[in-house]
Amino acid sequence: MIRDIFTMALDTMKSYKIRTFLTLIGVIIGVASVIMVTTAGNSVSTFIAEQWNLFNPTGMVIGLGTGGAVPQLSIRSVVFTTNDVENIQRLPSIKTVAPIGIVPVIKILKRDGFLKWESRPGETMYASTEAILEILNMELEEGTMFQEGKNEIVISKNVVETFGKDKPLKVGDTIYLRRVDGKTLDAKIVGILKQSSSFSMFNTLSSPGIICPAKPYYSTYFGSNAGSILKRVVAYTILLAEAKDTKQVQEAQNEILSYLNGTGSDANQYLDENSDFVVITQQYILDRVDKIMSVIRTYITAIALISLLIGGVGIANIMFATVTERTREIGTMMAVGAKRRDILQLFLYQSMVIGLLGGLTGCILGASGSWFVVDLLNNSIQNLGGAFSTGSIQLAYAPEWFLIASIVGILIGIAAGVLPARKAAKMDPVVALRYE
Amino acid sequence: MSEYVIEIDSLTKIYKTGKTDFKALNNVDLNINKGDFVAIMGPSGSGKSTMMNIIGCLDRPTSGTIIIDGENISTVNDNQLAVIRGRKIGFIFQKFNLMPSMTALKNVSLPMVFLGGSKADRDHRAFELLAKVGLTNWATHLPSELSGGQQQRIAIARALVNNPSIILADEPTGNLDTKTGEQIMELLVALNREGKTILLVTHAIALKRFANRVVNMLDGEVTEDT
Repeated sequence: MIRDIFTMALDTMKSYKIRTFLTLIGVIIGVASVIMVTTAGNSVSTFIAEQWNLFNPTGMVIGLGTGGAVPQLSIRSVVFTTNDVENIQRLPSIKTVAPIGIVPVIKILKRDGFLKWESRPGETMYASTEAILEILNMELEEGTMFQEGKNEIVISKNVVETFGKDKPLKVGDTIYLRRVDGKTLDAKIVGILKQSSSFSMFNTLSSPGIICPAKPYYSTYFGSNAGSILKRVVAYTILLAEAKDTKQVQEAQNEILSYLNGTGSDANQYLDENSDFVVITQQYILDRVDKIMSVIRTYITAIALISLLIGGVGIANIMFATVTERTREIGTMMAVGAKRRDILQLFLYQSMVIGLLGGLTGCILGASGSWFVVDLLNNSIQNLGGAFSTGSIQLAYAPEWFLIASIVGILIGIAAGVLPARKAAKMDPVVALRYE
Repeated sequence: MSEYVIEIDSLTKIYKTGKTDFKALNNVDLNINKGDFVAIMGPSGSGKSTMMNIIGCLDRPTSGTIIIDGENISTVNDNQLAVIRGRKIGFIFQKFNLMPSMTALKNVSLPMVFLGGSKADRDHRAFELLAKVGLTNWATHLPSELSGGQQQRIAIARALVNNPSIILADEPTGNLDTKTGEQIMELLVALNREGKTILLVTHAIALKRFANRVVNMLDGEVTEDT
């Protein structure tokens, strides 16, 4: 008998094709959006985790900021001196340290024949030492590292094509770099970095296009404003360090902080009152990323679930309309022997089928829609450029959400059907038969 | 066991409409023999519809007893009432009341669905009854594709499908033209000859002649019984 009533429910749905279809769409969109949103979230998290993994797991960023539970880097102060770099290098858990001084280059120029110049917008340029290669997992594809004090630079693969694909820069070429202070310095390209692992520091730094020695590019520009006029030193914004192994990261962090906060460090002298020394490890960054991602994910998943809920309201709405419209039919069924339970089942099956069908179709649509969403995300991430231009987001489904979305879809179908079905089952046959 | 198929004893039905009570049936006594063709007549508000609803097990009396084919329906619950209704009563309505989304065959077999039983049995029985009302060619058609007279025949076949003790016809010719109405009435007369008890509720005097007993009602009481 249950099967017969189920067949009756299906028959009714077939005779209200458009209505059934529209109701289905509500559930399908709800389920599909939950799946697309969770898949997108999952894919992006995986991608970001991979991006950060490119940065050496033993790596650390030493900077200034407001410390505490959520350290924030600030790049406005320059306090770490060459002396500090050397002292940190000597700490027992530290393998290597590289300073980073940001040299704002506003223009890159190249001589193109007699008196003819080609000019391009500037690039990110870091003044550093050879150690930066190791810490940032970078390698030279050709050429050698620059020598301190010489007008030599190392460029990334992106910079090679600055003047066009047909006119790539080569090792041995000389270009001219115009700094933000207006001074133009010539630079001989001595090495080209391999296009591979790249590095980004959570909107604090982006991957360098050019790496140069502190002297002459940095020290003559910025490095000299730390200290008194009589005692000029080169100072950096940020230091990158690497612990000897992953187990010593925490130890290295403590050693660095105690050195910097001690009386022996230059940085401590130049520090302003409102800032603290901050050492950010990769684990910390990964945790942060994870936290932020999960907040975003929870938020958008909630929105998607709301749309699923609205789908449920749609079912309830249509079911109520159907019950009212079929009042006389309900009365007739009761007159020919239908029990209240039969009527209840008849309508519940309809909303269940809508929930189930909508849930399954939504899964399929969501699975294929996720592909487009990830593609879209990839496009926008490529446009961001910088560190994110390497690698792409891989489609990573969140299988548990397929299950959750379809179960919620079915449950909402049933829940949405309960009230209308009860209304139908509770009808007084005498009144129902008289209904016009 | 009595030979009455319906035994009504001091039946009263009171409707509460707001603050005032409306006595639709006032202490009615009525017995109906097996195989009778009874016309219950009266103007609107006379209580004949209430009477039909209670005899049809759609409603319960406020007081008094009513026994349908040996079952006292004054004391049963909703579920039992639905089962008794399905087994013992065959309804024929003025507006046919067919399921618009079901074929003629499915409409006829509908009452059997609620009593259980296999689909093959149901289809067999429904087809038999379609043959009886002369509509086998229309088995797979929807009600909207049939004429009024044909629809009422389907409804009659449906009323017969569970082999009920009583056929309750509520203005069965009300939505039909005179000629088609006659044919439907003749079909009911034929069923009566086969032994079915038929209760015809109507206010059309012209239908009186088909019945062998006429019960006149007015203001909730039986005024004439011939």
